[in-house]
Amino acid sequence: MSGAGRHLAFLCPRYAGAAGAGGAETLIKSLAQRSVKAGYRVTFLTTCAVDHFSWKNVLPPGSRIEDGLEVRFFPVDEGRDEAAFHAAQDRLCRRASIPPDVEVQWFRHGVHSSALLTHLREEGGQYDRILAGPYLFGLVIAAAQQSPDRTWLIPCLHDEPFTRLSVIREMMTRVRGCLFNSEPEQRLAGRIFGFDPRRGVVVGMGLEPFEVDPAAFAARHKLHSPYVMYAGRREPAKSTPLLVDYLDAFRKRTGQDVRFVCCGSGPFEQRSFVKDLGFVTEREKHEAMAGATAFIHPSRFESLGIVLLESFLAGTPGLVSSQSEVLRWQCARSGAGLWWRGYPDFEEELMCLLSDRDLRDRMGRQGRDFVRSEYAWEAVDRRLFEALDRG
Amino acid sequence: MISLGAPGIDTERIVADIQATVERKMKDGLYADVRVAAAERTHLAVLQKEESFAEYYLQCLREAALVDINDFEIRERRSFGAALLVRLKRTIWALLRFYTYRLWSQQNQVNSLLVTGLESQDARQAARLLVLEARVAELESRLGGPPVRGVPS
Repeated sequence: MSGAGRHLAFLCPRYAGAAGAGGAETLIKSLAQRSVKAGYRVTFLTTCAVDHFSWKNVLPPGSRIEDGLEVRFFPVDEGRDEAAFHAAQDRLCRRASIPPDVEVQWFRHGVHSSALLTHLREEGGQYDRILAGPYLFGLVIAAAQQSPDRTWLIPCLHDEPFTRLSVIREMMTRVRGCLFNSEPEQRLAGRIFGFDPRRGVVVGMGLEPFEVDPAAFAARHKLHSPYVMYAGRREPAKSTPLLVDYLDAFRKRTGQDVRFVCCGSGPFEQRSFVKDLGFVTEREKHEAMAGATAFIHPSRFESLGIVLLESFLAGTPGLVSSQSEVLRWQCARSGAGLWWRGYPDFEEELMCLLSDRDLRDRMGRQGRDFVRSEYAWEAVDRRLFEALDRG
Repeated sequence: MISLGAPGIDTERIVADIQATVERKMKDGLYADVRVAAAERTHLAVLQKEESFAEYYLQCLREAALVDINDFEIRERRSFGAALLVRLKRTIWALLRFYTYRLWSQQNQVNSLLVTGLESQDARQAARLLVLEARVAELESRLGGPPVRGVPS
């Protein structure tokens, strides 16, 4: 397994730098770093934007070394009509059928970088393979259109309205192959696009094991009641308002004083039982996870569920929405999590985890073992480089 | 290749047991609670694929349909001037209630009628389905069993 002599380009509209980014950006950067370690020559192509709402050029353009990677930053095209993009996105999310003009608006006013595309057109011949993602950005679609036969897409696919766009269907059909995060994601691609499983490989992302004191977080924050936890973006698309409503009802109906610890970005409805940490260090997050009764992931749209896997590594069981095929799959195959259909299941399952310490500990141990074997970097490397060597 | 199914705890079985318990408790009305209805407000739209969606939706709707216009205990957390503040709040609530009572009682009437209408529609559809299923079963038994899939009859 050696990448000697092969030059890979990783393309992602945002670079997961010090300011942080989403799970997909972190995943793509991690795969690029592993490729460098394996001996591939790697160039990371990205934009100067940090924020995925405004796509304002914040970082200076040019080439520099970041986190051991050669990163080339290109400016996002100016003159993008943000309002038109959001209007098209809203229409797209609300309608069963997509009028062609809405799709054109969505694509035209999405994020683009002519400078990056020019680089690919004029100097892209040096790259043996281009690994691009996630699927729903105009820049990724345009880059894949330029050299589909050399592009491996890392789609990070969710069952959401964008998947019905014809440009995305075309991209999925024409690219060399797809690197999926999980088997349910690959099945979803099959259901939506008729994607041939032989053109896809389930790779995922490696997670580094960690050891933390499960009592440290509660002691530092003077938390004397049991708590459950969520980490990540807080927004309706991630169903975090639903989780707060569920916990509120749970506390009122059962009389259990369960606290809710959450960290990450986005607005949050403040309630007396919520401890909102905002952005925290990785260590603080892992300590909070390790001390929690359960890590609750209410989102329906996940392609891997990195934070759920991190909580498994911390020895904490998961409690997830059955609406997410991926999260349910992770819980079932690890034996480290339960899933709910609606509030009644949620109440019974949380009560079960609160009252049965032995079950919680056993599930926690299973989760840790599971992630250490399935999401060890060695296992992920093997899947990734076998795919690249094959095609 | 990723392996499936970890040895040890079978979470599929735990979840199935919990779901059976939940279904029993739901039949006993243990989740017919306005707090459950309120908690599900952002979730009902995504439950539509579930088989028992209509029944659960109606249950939640029934619990949430009536606006609570009854008096409630008015408290004040601050100790300074608490008695005065409580009296002020009571006066405001009494005025609000007096001026909005007609509005809310009419709204409650409309909500109740809508829920009753939906429930009766649901019951009628369920009854029709039962009759149709019985007819299909009878026809199938007369023809010697259900048709085999993929084989044109």
